[in-house]
Amino acid sequence: MAAGSSHYDLDRFGIIFRASPRQSDAMIVAGTVTQKMAPVVRRVYDQMPEPRYVLAMGSCACSGGVFKTYHTVQGCDEFLPVDVYVPGCPPRPEALLEGLMKLQQKMMKEEMRWSRWR
Amino acid sequence: MLENKAQLRLVKGDEATHEPYTIAMGPQHPATHGVLKLDLELDGETVLECKPTVGFLHRGVEKLAENLSYAQTLPLTDRLDYIASMANNVAYSIAVEKLLDIEVPLRAKYIRTMVMEMARLTGHLLWLATHALDIGAMTVFLYCFREREILLDMFEEICGARLTTSYTCIGGVRQDVTGHFLESLYDFTEDFPSKIKEYETLIDKNRIWLKRTQDVGIVSAEDAVSLGLTGPTLRGSGVDYDVRKHMPYDAYPYVKFEVPIGSKGDVYDRYRCRMEEMHQSNSIIRQCIEALPTGPIRAADAPDLVMPYGIQKKVAADATFSSGIIKLVKDSERYIEGDVYVAAEVPKGELGFYFVSDGKGVPYRMHIRSPSYIHIGALSFLCKGQMVADVIAIIGSVDVVLGECDR
Amino acid sequence: MEPLEIAKKIKERFPDQVIDVEEHRGQVGVIVKKDRIVELLRWLHDDPALHLNHLADLCGVDYLGKKDVRFEVVYNLYSIPLRHGIRIRAQVPEDDCQIESVTSIWMGADWHERECYDLLGITFGGHPDLRRILLPDGWEGHPLRKDYPLDGGGKNWSGYDKVLERSKKLRKYDFYGTYQDPTKKTGIEDARE
Repeated sequence: MAAGSSHYDLDRFGIIFRASPRQSDAMIVAGTVTQKMAPVVRRVYDQMPEPRYVLAMGSCACSGGVFKTYHTVQGCDEFLPVDVYVPGCPPRPEALLEGLMKLQQKMMKEEMRWSRWR
Repeated sequence: MLENKAQLRLVKGDEATHEPYTIAMGPQHPATHGVLKLDLELDGETVLECKPTVGFLHRGVEKLAENLSYAQTLPLTDRLDYIASMANNVAYSIAVEKLLDIEVPLRAKYIRTMVMEMARLTGHLLWLATHALDIGAMTVFLYCFREREILLDMFEEICGARLTTSYTCIGGVRQDVTGHFLESLYDFTEDFPSKIKEYETLIDKNRIWLKRTQDVGIVSAEDAVSLGLTGPTLRGSGVDYDVRKHMPYDAYPYVKFEVPIGSKGDVYDRYRCRMEEMHQSNSIIRQCIEALPTGPIRAADAPDLVMPYGIQKKVAADATFSSGIIKLVKDSERYIEGDVYVAAEVPKGELGFYFVSDGKGVPYRMHIRSPSYIHIGALSFLCKGQMVADVIAIIGSVDVVLGECDR
Repeated sequence: MEPLEIAKKIKERFPDQVIDVEEHRGQVGVIVKKDRIVELLRWLHDDPALHLNHLADLCGVDYLGKKDVRFEVVYNLYSIPLRHGIRIRAQVPEDDCQIESVTSIWMGADWHERECYDLLGITFGGHPDLRRILLPDGWEGHPLRKDYPLDGGGKNWSGYDKVLERSKKLRKYDFYGTYQDPTKKTGIEDARE
């Protein structure tokens, strides 16, 4: 949230938050994913148009973090193809910006990316 | 024979057009402050019933705490209310200190009170920012985050983290404050009242703001107590209940402050309560800086995490605690059987910890009474009969964090 | 009023219900039977000399293997105008895992009781809407019971298993192979060794 506001300002990298998954290119999975949340996250991802990218933000989204418990998913890559992992609990806004720029670099390198159903 | 409802409507005319329908708001709705889901049953624009669904962030902190020692659980409390984690650290620490009967040095008490009020400011600033954003005032969002960044930078100075601080430890605080920190904090408190005035000029008498907040989501004092509301949400209804005054902890008995109280119990009163509270927090921080005594910052015999210094450098990867190579936890002799419930006033309300100890180094049962959980439970009462657009204003006004709600 | 005085008053009023009074660090807990719990709590709520109108906390505790009666439902009460508090602990045996709901006294008890049902499996009689709250419907077991393993015993919720299955099926459409099986060795580990 702080990354989007005045001090760090995501807009200057051409990144704008959208309220609807239908208009999005990338999804940031922020925070712990639980088993109850997983179908919802997957549904949001399925709604996004291709090409689409996933950024896992925070240790909890990357690997489950400190919460190795009954209801926590041990990393959202269990059911989503994650492009960039940003560790930290929570990551600093700079780290998130770095992750997003890494994602931009990854997109630049791509020659073809066509997978409708991934 | 009329079989479906559409035909029925045609026949009955106006009478039957008020057919209730259900919409689901969330769990990834941008105005729900996290992963909260609301099932709204509507009649036109009026909410007939509002059923909140929570648990999308349930991580099992209580179960996890039963498997960790008291000192190891402290970092988990950061992840409850992650926008004012200092307050959670303090609440957890005072609860464990009560359970183990540990006396905290006076300097640590003052420092804790100071950081707790800073946490209250960060919490209220974020609340104001998002609440205003939900209602439609974008500028306030940018203004509030400007001051919040200053506070977070100060947190970073004393403990190295912006959000997940883990600054307190059982029996004191982890590091002493520096002179530079105190100076910059004092400068901030001198400046801050003018900033609050700035927010108030934006929205306090703003006609749109008044229209959207006054007489919306009214809850009477009796109902508010019965619902279990606490914090500014309760005080907006005119009930004088503040844990800092009723069950004083840390340095709150030594500082002077007032508890602002509303009268009507609508969204606007809750907003006014929080704004006044920011003034009071500001003055508490000033008093703490002025009266900060010297001395130790940590009780000597408290259980704590200790760094494994003085042990051989190479440690096998599969070394465990039981093999005796790494001992991260300093144990205390104070564990006895018993149970205790201790509450603290965090920005959202009354955060209580109920501990049952069986005489071992880990809690037998830890229950967290989180204010957000109770406040979301009260939403179905608050939203009944309101317009659907006002639901957003009400959610904002009760101030919830889902990390704390779901635990 | 001092908490011990309140405990004494409860003992006088309900002599056959009170089992024990425990004090720890200045806080007093009254252990009672569950039979007349609603009546007892309503009296505590309504009596003008006590007036315990704020239900601070309600939770369940599992004493598996520690006590004869397995569960306890704990009510932490506080009086906002009179500034005193007391803890009531009602015993609930395992074979009759049920207690009367106090939603008629405090509206806020609703979600507390649902949480207690969800995580500990204690049912509350007369509760208006007793469903799982934190965990999804169809979850097996009650996690805060002492015989429930911390990691859930490796068993997932059925809804989550469906998601996993679906994402596994869709993985074959991934042309570039960005997905890496975490169980497979990537070669990075070998380089480190």
